[in-house]
Amino acid sequence: MTLCFTRTIHSLPFKHPRLSLSNPSKRPISSFLPHSSSQSPPLLHPISPKPHLPLFLRPPTSSATFSDLQKFHSWAKGLAFSVGSKFLDSDNGPDTDLLCREIKWLLEDAVEHTSILPHLGSSQNPNLTGSELIRLKLDLDDLYSLWNQRIEERRPFQYIVGCEHWRDFVLCVEEGVLIPRPETELIVDMVEEVVSKEKGLRNGLWADLGTGSGAIGIGIGRILEEGGRVIATDVSEVAVSVATFNVQRYGLQDKVQVRQGSWFEPIEDVMGKLAGLVSNPPYIPRDQIPRLQAEVGKHEPRLALDGGDHGMDDLLHLCEGSSIALGSGGFFAFETNGDEQSELLADIMTSKSENRFRDVKIKTDMAGIHRFVTGFRR
Amino acid sequence: MGLFLLKHWRTKMPSNLHRNPRIPFMSLLSSSSTAPSMPQTESAVFHTPLFAKRPPFFLQFTRGFAASSQPDLDPQTSDGLTVDGIVARSWPILDEGESDWRSHAASVALSIQLMKRRLQWKKMALRVEQLSAELNKPDLWEDPVYAGKISREHGMYMGKMKEVNGFEQDLLEHIDMLKLAREENDTELESESMKALLRMRRIAKEKELEALLAGEHDSCSCFIEVQGGAGGTESMDWAAMVMNMYKLWAQRRGFEVTTVDEMPGEIAGIKRATIKVDGEYAYGYAKSEVGVHRLVRISPFDSAKRRHTSFAAVAVIPILGDSSSRFQINESDLRIERFRSGGAGGQSVNTTDSAVRIVHIPTGVTATCQNERSQHQNKAMAMAVLQSRLDQLEMARQAQMNAQHTQSLTDISWGNQIRSYVLHPYAMVKDLRTRYEVSDPDSVLEGDIDGFILSYLSSTVDKDEETNI
Repeated sequence: MTLCFTRTIHSLPFKHPRLSLSNPSKRPISSFLPHSSSQSPPLLHPISPKPHLPLFLRPPTSSATFSDLQKFHSWAKGLAFSVGSKFLDSDNGPDTDLLCREIKWLLEDAVEHTSILPHLGSSQNPNLTGSELIRLKLDLDDLYSLWNQRIEERRPFQYIVGCEHWRDFVLCVEEGVLIPRPETELIVDMVEEVVSKEKGLRNGLWADLGTGSGAIGIGIGRILEEGGRVIATDVSEVAVSVATFNVQRYGLQDKVQVRQGSWFEPIEDVMGKLAGLVSNPPYIPRDQIPRLQAEVGKHEPRLALDGGDHGMDDLLHLCEGSSIALGSGGFFAFETNGDEQSELLADIMTSKSENRFRDVKIKTDMAGIHRFVTGFRR
Repeated sequence: MGLFLLKHWRTKMPSNLHRNPRIPFMSLLSSSSTAPSMPQTESAVFHTPLFAKRPPFFLQFTRGFAASSQPDLDPQTSDGLTVDGIVARSWPILDEGESDWRSHAASVALSIQLMKRRLQWKKMALRVEQLSAELNKPDLWEDPVYAGKISREHGMYMGKMKEVNGFEQDLLEHIDMLKLAREENDTELESESMKALLRMRRIAKEKELEALLAGEHDSCSCFIEVQGGAGGTESMDWAAMVMNMYKLWAQRRGFEVTTVDEMPGEIAGIKRATIKVDGEYAYGYAKSEVGVHRLVRISPFDSAKRRHTSFAAVAVIPILGDSSSRFQINESDLRIERFRSGGAGGQSVNTTDSAVRIVHIPTGVTATCQNERSQHQNKAMAMAVLQSRLDQLEMARQAQMNAQHTQSLTDISWGNQIRSYVLHPYAMVKDLRTRYEVSDPDSVLEGDIDGFILSYLSSTVDKDEETNI
């Protein structure tokens, strides 16, 4: 299949030379809104065109003594223990156990050599005097203020360290971009399963609509054969720059193209030619947004969460468009809010779609929730 | 293909002989059940030339061995002295500093006997004969996986036998040389031969230890699991100390350590943890640590400064390297689930917790991993743990192996104490199985446990093998 990426006006240059990206096109945000016109983009943080370098990728520019780091460690643990199950009980937030694990990961990302870390928590350190200098990727003061933000503001851990470990790779994330969820990893597993059976899917053209950090697009890009391509789109400028950064970090710029725009708008040139279409669109019913877990509701972009009155606005739009976008035999997989949504969507795609889809199935996530709807274009 | 195999023979065989110092004697028991049936020969013509060109060294070894298995052809000195003969004379073994060749020779001869006993010499001889017969079958390479396994095993045994036979030969030659030097009054040659005997005496001690790690899975990497006993913070702290001891021990030995699963205690220590120890012979050494470890000290968590006794249980599971001998897991027999699932999931929840539990439904065996940072990685690690647990179960079932080494953490009875660490009122670590003891608990808790491991290994192997020489 020959591909022509003609409509690249809205997207960033395909191969970006610099680590920190700047976006030359300053289009008003309103023109990138999803089709649902009632939606407004209430982003907490101003859009930044340059992705922040995640902690683990920064060079060591600071240092602290072993005993200072030990003090930080016990202070941070103290804060974590003061939380107990408070967050868990109020909104299903993190408990002490989880926060302790996050401290370990924060330090793993913050120090230059992680071999010192196992000694931080133990009472006896016969070979350490405490005055050893440990090289850090940020100032000790910043480390304190980051952990304080984690507990006091419930700022998501992934924004604190600037990355999320997802499948077998590490994605950079920042405010303004949805943090990819563990459930969504399974979409890549499903794609892996279908491409292993059909060569046409293996080297075809795929689209990940509403890619966010680029997670699914990159996941698929890594399993497609030579010749297979992915177009990853997002309406958000921050998401596009973060996704582009992540694509480049894994050297996939020849395989995964990031385009800016709402849903099918940036892929008009390939409509009807897609071998596969996947999406994790916003699906939370609007009235649930105020009651969300603090990490989500207070910090993550509403644009990526709010699916309209019943949470189905974007899913229905995707369902409609996919019958035109997918070529014959093309595969689709959508993530939903769970049981009711997936049943409704599957019902629409089987009985109310004039026989345009086949093998429509509901798939569960690892918590047993009917999370996904998959199937093929006839 | 034929050419490749030929190359394989030429390059692989000699290096095997040097590189595989241990013999999996356990395979003597179980190999017949795991060996696939031989495929019928269809292209014998294709294979015959391959074997016609088999490197000659291979045949020499076979003959060499066949000769040494005959008692009347045991290697001997020019005046008919054999290793068994030397031992039978019971020459007194003096200090290394004493320049007495009889003393050196007696010590080396005893070591050779011990090595042979540890290697199960007679069983090994029998197995080599079987393997040689198998290797001579013209249709062997019809099944390259099986053939590779057979030739590897054969290479390993041959390497070990050659090593011990060579050592034996050296001893007798040095004795001949020394006697000759005395007859000829060549003091220089005499002192050289004496030095050579002394060198052999020292090397022999190392070789004795090497022969201890000859179990089928000894060369594998392993998981080590530690669980605190009843008793709250004090016993959780003890569990963490024990786990730390193994981490430090593994680092000393140059093994790579990864934490798989860890449940921290509320105030200090761990409730339970699993680490993966990667490296050659990690299992062979660590298996000696299975059982309950007891601590007596004044607890830093007791404001009344009373003396406390706590327990921690240790389990060790080998990670089998040879995929053909692994338990075959049927995908549909697995239930893979989030370890803790809260609420709606998906976009509504942001959590860094992606712990995965895998249940093998037919056996009820489970594995959990929560220490990786993605669900995908947690699942992969949990699968690795599950695979090893099932392998262990299968091993126990198939070979009825020494039950102690295959016990899982839950099976270990709290009565099964193997070692006692007393920090107060006196300082002492004592192994209850071997009576081996050390009066410096700090060094032990910093990972200096090789003394315990080696004394245990020699006590069990030597006891087991006495009847089998």
